[in-house]
Amino acid sequence: MPSLLSSAFSLRRDPRILKIPPYLSLVCIVVGVVWLFLLPLDDYSRRTYISENALLPGQVHTYFGGSDQNVFRAYKNEVVASDIAEANNTEVNDKLEGILKGVGLKTGRQSFKYESRSWGDEYEGENLYAILQAPRGDATEAIVLVAPFRTVDGKLNANGVALALTLSRYFKRWSLWSKDIIILLPPDSLAGPQAWVDAYHDAHNPSTVSSLPLKSGALQGAIALDYTHEGRFEAVHIVYDGVNGQLPNLDLINAVSNIAGGQMGMGTALQHMYRHKNNYSDRLQTMLRGMLNQALGRATGAHSCFIPYHVDAITLQPFSANPGSGWHDEMALGRLVEGSFRSLNNLLEHLHQSFFFYLLMHRDRFVSIGTYLPSAMVLAANFTIMAIFMWVKSGQPQPGTKTTEEETTEGDGDKKKPAAHAVERELFLPLGLVTAVQFLGVVPLFLFNHAPASTLSPLFILITLLSPLLPIGINFALPSLSQTGRLTPQHYQLFHSFSLLLLGMFLSTLATLNFSLAFVVGIFSAPLTFVRPVQNVAVKLLSAVVLNALAPTTVILAASFYVGMDISDVLREAAFGWEVWGMYTSVIVWCVWWPAWIIGATVLLGNQSIAKEKTL
Amino acid sequence: MPFLVPPELHCLARRGEELAQLSSTSPDLEQSKLSHPNETPPLSEFTSKNPANRKRGRASINGRTTATMRFSISRLLTAASIIFTPLLLQSSPVSASSSSQEPALSQSSQPASASTVISSDSEYHEQLVLRPLPQSALLASFNFRSNISVSAFEAQNFRFFPRSLGQILQYAGTRELHLRFALGRWDAESWGSRPWDGAREGGTGVELWAWLDAETDEEADQKWLILTNALSGLFCASLNFIDGTRTTRPVMSFQPEGDHPNSTIANTHLLHGTLPHEVVCTENLTPFLKLLPCKGKTGISSLLNGHKLFDATWQSMAIDVRPVCPRETEEGRGECVLEIEQTIDMVLDVDRSKRPRGNPIPRPPPAQDLKCDPSKEYDSDNACFPADYALGQDWSLTQIFGKTLKGTCPLTDPNIPPVCIQVPNSRHIFTSLGNKEVKDPSGNSRCYYLDPEGSFEMVLPPMSKDGAQHTAESELVKGETPLLYAERSFMGHGQERGGVQAILRNPSWDTEVEFVYMESLPWFMRVYLHTLEARINGQKTSYDSVVKEIYYRPAVDRARGTQLELRMVIPPASTVFLTYDFEKSILRYTEYPPDANRGFDVAASIITIRSPSNGKRVPAGMRTTSLLLNLPTPDFSMPYNVIIFTSTAIALAFGGMFNILVRRFVAADEGPEVSVKRMRNKAVALGRKVAAKFGRGGKEEGKKE
Repeated sequence: MPSLLSSAFSLRRDPRILKIPPYLSLVCIVVGVVWLFLLPLDDYSRRTYISENALLPGQVHTYFGGSDQNVFRAYKNEVVASDIAEANNTEVNDKLEGILKGVGLKTGRQSFKYESRSWGDEYEGENLYAILQAPRGDATEAIVLVAPFRTVDGKLNANGVALALTLSRYFKRWSLWSKDIIILLPPDSLAGPQAWVDAYHDAHNPSTVSSLPLKSGALQGAIALDYTHEGRFEAVHIVYDGVNGQLPNLDLINAVSNIAGGQMGMGTALQHMYRHKNNYSDRLQTMLRGMLNQALGRATGAHSCFIPYHVDAITLQPFSANPGSGWHDEMALGRLVEGSFRSLNNLLEHLHQSFFFYLLMHRDRFVSIGTYLPSAMVLAANFTIMAIFMWVKSGQPQPGTKTTEEETTEGDGDKKKPAAHAVERELFLPLGLVTAVQFLGVVPLFLFNHAPASTLSPLFILITLLSPLLPIGINFALPSLSQTGRLTPQHYQLFHSFSLLLLGMFLSTLATLNFSLAFVVGIFSAPLTFVRPVQNVAVKLLSAVVLNALAPTTVILAASFYVGMDISDVLREAAFGWEVWGMYTSVIVWCVWWPAWIIGATVLLGNQSIAKEKTL
Repeated sequence: MPFLVPPELHCLARRGEELAQLSSTSPDLEQSKLSHPNETPPLSEFTSKNPANRKRGRASINGRTTATMRFSISRLLTAASIIFTPLLLQSSPVSASSSSQEPALSQSSQPASASTVISSDSEYHEQLVLRPLPQSALLASFNFRSNISVSAFEAQNFRFFPRSLGQILQYAGTRELHLRFALGRWDAESWGSRPWDGAREGGTGVELWAWLDAETDEEADQKWLILTNALSGLFCASLNFIDGTRTTRPVMSFQPEGDHPNSTIANTHLLHGTLPHEVVCTENLTPFLKLLPCKGKTGISSLLNGHKLFDATWQSMAIDVRPVCPRETEEGRGECVLEIEQTIDMVLDVDRSKRPRGNPIPRPPPAQDLKCDPSKEYDSDNACFPADYALGQDWSLTQIFGKTLKGTCPLTDPNIPPVCIQVPNSRHIFTSLGNKEVKDPSGNSRCYYLDPEGSFEMVLPPMSKDGAQHTAESELVKGETPLLYAERSFMGHGQERGGVQAILRNPSWDTEVEFVYMESLPWFMRVYLHTLEARINGQKTSYDSVVKEIYYRPAVDRARGTQLELRMVIPPASTVFLTYDFEKSILRYTEYPPDANRGFDVAASIITIRSPSNGKRVPAGMRTTSLLLNLPTPDFSMPYNVIIFTSTAIALAFGGMFNILVRRFVAADEGPEVSVKRMRNKAVALGRKVAAKFGRGGKEEGKKE
């Protein structure tokens, strides 16, 4: 034992040990990325399965069809006619309410008005909903069928609304419902359902969103219809991403996909992968698209806002991969909804059996959190390792700067036994700087959520231009704040250390909540691990260019350019998401990623400013 | 349960945990049985015709299963000789208004009501009142009432009064009993006020309240235990689960319906218990029918059929036992009687009920049968705007109940018409021959005296909409506006805390409504009484203007629930939002039921309206819906994972450590030599040995040859 200890001590004193952490960090990054790319392989992903036995998907006969199709056509005519005739949402609701009341349902209406200068136009409308009371039930549980009047793209969801109306009429005839069925017809897909679900859980702001006149029990699940496809369709696209990357219980997706595939002979697709060959590249692509949606954290359909309230929800979108192909009609989608509702109706408990954290790569392939989480965790660990390394390094005498600095004038004797004793660290300035920059992130966050919509775009350009200048400014201003009037390498090491420590901490925490966002931020800030105050001007310039290319602002600009969106639209949506959905992606960008980048750039440009100071 | 549940009814099977816990309750059942001083050996005077039951009774002594236990208790009670008779009803009249005994059917004022003549002739009567409601709903109210004079009751000379129930009441010292089995929701918005003004209604599940004769609270609890356990056996319901946590002693909400002399009322205790999670089904109907003199064989009770009753949108089965004393007349006062009233109210969905039993699946009708609205311009062969809900009702009694009404019960009072229907007199109704129709002068009700032998059929034909005089009033009798609308729901989300919101609306334009709002909440719902808040029409007002009086009995963990009674007055045409917050407590690991993620049922709140204008003895009441409370639920597989992990860690650590401690380490040169050469030598030696063996064998063989 003593020999073991002594060898450990000698290892600690060994200067070679200090060479390891940068390589270890690099290994962490590589492992994290490679890990992700291994996931689509058969050995690392699993086949999906139904975990909740009560669901019994596809075990019932579905009877929707026949003359209901005639009713569907009539309702569709009504919906299209009311859309053309009445521009006002309230008048449309008058008509639809008449139909729902005629079926014998209890109806309610809720008006909402979201307005903020940040997204320009105001979202105002009126939700219409109807409750089909379970014939023998007691308002303790409910399932929701959502058919927004307009889809996410702003198209008229005539088929979806008509189908929901027809289904409500059909469901009313059955006596087997053990849960109430709520038919929700919001005017749009993004604001209306959010207002409704907030009010249902009494989490709304009464000044903008009115309370619900009629309520039922605990929501057990929701299915939204996004059916703009005309004519026969081939398969159903299941949209499942929730706000802030939260996902519905995997059992719900599996059950619907099982009913569609097994009973209806209808394919299902995920993440717009309409032609999925179930090979490596398709799986990887599905997974990466899913991760991207998760990282953005925005609502992808009317179902998204249900998920934060622990109501499992998905949107169904019929599609044809090849135009004109497919043989399924509206009744088939109706039967799919019927089958899914029968399954949900069977539930004795709230969906809890299966996974809430998963990455889907095919309709019957997924990876669970235990398998994918290490990838983001390892990535986050790289920052922590480097932070510890920088901390250790800052406590050692600086061999390079010794000759020029007074406080380390112990002489050449030190060179013979390095790390013999630690150097006192000056903590105030690094702590102060890192804290200040961290809080500085609140400024863009506040600006982008409160500035008028017209100024968003110029403001963003301003921030984009200011971001690279800020590190230079810091390097100019800081020396005067220092005790000695100049910045030592130790200062830079400590800046770097604290910043990376925070980044590592934030990202590993975030990885458990929103894996994809943590991973994306981790990948983009990976170069921050390796920044050093460089003396060589050419290298410094090159590094500065690379670093600026990976700045949050540049990445956002580039990404919006790549998908063809105007930057002001992106910012508007972010402001809307923050205000209405409670989307925290912008918080991560401005308060985690951006401060880390600022400190990283400060460290990179560090010595240059000292050099400048010297020349002055 | 011994009764088969038809699959199409989807009666939820009783949950496994109840069965599991049943066995745990049986010891106290036995204890209560044994501790009773009046116990005689069971089966001594046992007069069951069914030898199987006798066997069950015997088997129960072992206390092995509760199902048999339930039987045994009722048999035991049959055998028990009653020494003290708790129902010592004195003949002193307590200003009993006869209106209380009248069936509370305001529109069908019958000339002969049971209370006016309490003679041997009118010891039993039954009546079915049908009332078509808007949108293909039909209310059917069955009412069965029988009397027993107190002296006959004490002498156990039961005639129409069910013996099984009577003896339980005697044994448990019950003065007045109310038992409710309810399912579904009454839609007050479209159906109007409730049948019997809500007095015969219970919260979802089972509700029981009784006035028990006891000197002390402990004695009352003891008798309550006996009563619930005995009724549990009698009605095949889990009433024995009404324990201390589900029992309350209401202070303001309930008043006795019967006539109790002041001297005895002082010694009675009111106990109230609910089981919101109990699913009422066929197994509860059968014992209910067995209590009737005609047992569901003839008379209106022959219409009662589990398939239809439990397919109803709303249904409530009630049993009320109360002492009734006649008013003082010139001839002197009559004898007090004990009255049992059994009521079944149900709202049937006509369209659903009319479906034939052989083909109950609501397949879409053929396109040509679909009733379309021809006024739509797109109306064609393949597009049809449905118009069926505007068509009104059209049904026959047989279609609705799936059975024919077979004559009258021979025991019933012939002066009371067995079947009444509340539709405007102008509307046509066809009945089978041999029945006498009596139209009520109010113009909204008619009754039928049936042919005692023949079967009765009634047809409500659809109303032709062409006539100019057709109005909504000529088609249906409009329901009365209820005195109060009530609705209750949860607020908030998350697993830590929540809130309850009750919306109470007084629809009247000129009269205020006074009522008592009672909540009995489970103990794991920790109410913050200081958050109790009442808002009138959305505006914050001082709380005293609405809530006049509060009775609050806080919960004790695992011992009793919260009891909250509020006497409230709501001004005319206003809505009161009553809210309070609560905290969800974390249960012990073993206290969660197997379906922990379903949530916990919170019983309906009970509203008793005290309207001064009403003047009725039986106060109007109503129940809100029950609620489902989600408590923080642990991941039950986690302890398993922890056990697995720690076991693995310990096994590895222990294995390694044990190995190091026990194994002897020797230096490589001290041990036996391990080298290729040595191995080769060993192999060669082995080879030789084998060769020698075979060689010898070969030699031996050679010798033999």
